[in-house]
Amino acid sequence: MSRVVIVTASKTIPDIAKPDPRIILTMIKKGLELLAGVQKAEEAVALWFRPGERIGIKINTIGRRALSTMPETSVTLGLWLGQTITQEDKIIIWDRTNEELADTGYQLSTSGGTLRIFGTDSRNVGYLSEPTVNRHIGSLFSRIQAELIETSISLAILKDHGLAGVTAGMKNYFGAIHNPNKYHDSHCDPYIAELFETDFIRKKHRLTILDALRVQYHRGPSFHPQWAANCQKLVFSTDPVATDAVGWKIIEELRARKGLPSLREENREPGYLLTAERLELGQAQLANIEIIEEEV
Amino acid sequence: MDRRDFLRFSLAGSSLLFLSPTGRAENWTSPLTGSASGLSKIEARYYQKLPDREIKCELCPRFCILGDKERGFCGVRENQGGKYYTLVYGQVASLNIDPIEKKPFFHFLPGSEAFSLATAGCNLSCKFCQNWEISQMRPEQVKNIYLPPESVVASCLKYNSPVIAYTYTEPVIFFEFMYDTCVLARKSNIKNVVVTAGYINPEPLADLIKVVEAIKVDLKAFNQNFYRDYVRGELQPVLESIKQIAKSKTWLEIVYLVIPTLNDNPEEIRQMCRWLKAEIGPDYPIHFSRFHPMYLIKNLPPTPISTLEQLRNIALAEGLHFVYIGNVPGHPGENTYCPRCGKLIIERYGYAIKKKELSGNKCRFCGQEIAGVWS
Repeated sequence: MSRVVIVTASKTIPDIAKPDPRIILTMIKKGLELLAGVQKAEEAVALWFRPGERIGIKINTIGRRALSTMPETSVTLGLWLGQTITQEDKIIIWDRTNEELADTGYQLSTSGGTLRIFGTDSRNVGYLSEPTVNRHIGSLFSRIQAELIETSISLAILKDHGLAGVTAGMKNYFGAIHNPNKYHDSHCDPYIAELFETDFIRKKHRLTILDALRVQYHRGPSFHPQWAANCQKLVFSTDPVATDAVGWKIIEELRARKGLPSLREENREPGYLLTAERLELGQAQLANIEIIEEEV
Repeated sequence: MDRRDFLRFSLAGSSLLFLSPTGRAENWTSPLTGSASGLSKIEARYYQKLPDREIKCELCPRFCILGDKERGFCGVRENQGGKYYTLVYGQVASLNIDPIEKKPFFHFLPGSEAFSLATAGCNLSCKFCQNWEISQMRPEQVKNIYLPPESVVASCLKYNSPVIAYTYTEPVIFFEFMYDTCVLARKSNIKNVVVTAGYINPEPLADLIKVVEAIKVDLKAFNQNFYRDYVRGELQPVLESIKQIAKSKTWLEIVYLVIPTLNDNPEEIRQMCRWLKAEIGPDYPIHFSRFHPMYLIKNLPPTPISTLEQLRNIALAEGLHFVYIGNVPGHPGENTYCPRCGKLIIERYGYAIKKKELSGNKCRFCGQEIAGVWS
């Protein structure tokens, strides 16, 4: 049985693209406490990360300011981790390109002493020169994921995805390789699961946090305001498959509420979740997932 | 300043270009050196606008349907706000002057030099790709120089290159750049040749055929499962492309890279040769090329020469007139023999022509017309 925690902000967040970091921190702490079943979030973090560890926070900024992991969320998490388990400058908040990060509102930082925020396309970063091969995957990994960090958090935006069905924590790692465009056919199945199975991800991944503050539940992954709901939720789990399965559930509930057909009815359910379960990456069946919901 | 220096310094203005007369494209540098903001933004051809800012690409048989800010399988065509753009117009990632035999074209202006260029990207994903460092990259992941059609043509004129070759990666994916360059080149009597996997839809191919003189198609296998498992494509559209080209006035040659145990089944080759003879006739050359371990297939040895010879013999026995062995310098299978009298009419060593016994387009010994474009 895997555990997934959904924390909802009870007060309305006035500007969902610019949430109050204090509210976010409260949600993060509560989520981690419930996930680990401990009294203090600091204890939870100590279960998954070693002191002084270099931790990567892989975010998703392809949607720019409209639909990305916002600095208010990731930087809040990074700063808190920097105070709790490691040093600030051992946290890397990252995505594919500096341009996407900057367009989303991130202030890039590569120097020491503070959180480091940069893209794979930064000078002297780039990709490994030899492809990593796993089943149907053959890709160059970002040096950030492969070399610069020891453990990894996928802090992903939860979205409907026209091809994958759902894009969440596992698919977020498509941004860690040079050729994600090669893996979108067949509903991204088995590619999402097989990419996650590579050592650079599977052995480093510790935690998924889905940013479901605003959820694109239809016509994603592009931003369409008419099909985006302000859900004010963050979703936490150490099981990457279970987190995404619960993300799918959230999207289906939003779709049902709006009278939209289910992803299954649209023949684009995220089959990669079952593939991931077969590869023993986690639980895809809701029956095997304990869901804890909490408001803060 | 000689031609090499010119191309190296004048066109590139960077360390991008290394004009190598041999081997595969050697001019890539370490990935991730470009920038997305420095790419082109020219509206793409062959696409359909869909509701909600989605588009459907109609350039190749993938028919990618893309939301806003998404790129196709090729990695070089992007939906921006419901409009589809090519990001690689004039963005040259690889540039060399090659002997045309390197493409290989054996029956098209032998001995010519081809001004050869490519952009990043490909609409297939061959596990054995020989140029994967550029073909399997997005344009911002390689170094590019901006070389628009008029600069390409001007360079050819200045240095008397009679042919432009669109090659190395998959020219289909830089269709707009290639097409416009072809049109301009023709006005200056420069010929255009394309080296492609033939994974393109009939309409764009029909347009392309009108502006190029020769196309070499890489037929990866005569087996759908191979296309699915090792190429990430479909066989049938490639066969349709071969037929379409053969029906046109554009010269055609076919290359078949023989990979041990994966696509070297003699019976399959026999079926392929029968299909070729029946559909396009016996006169278009086919080259059986030697595989070398590369990219994601490094666990197989180079193709035994005996295998290449066996397949060549099968093709000849099935009645194909011009069957070559590639990537084996000095092998007699590099030479052209008259299909009527059997005499050696073009002797080659690697990419070099050692002897040519043609009188115009005819065998000098028996007068047999030899298919091809000889002048």
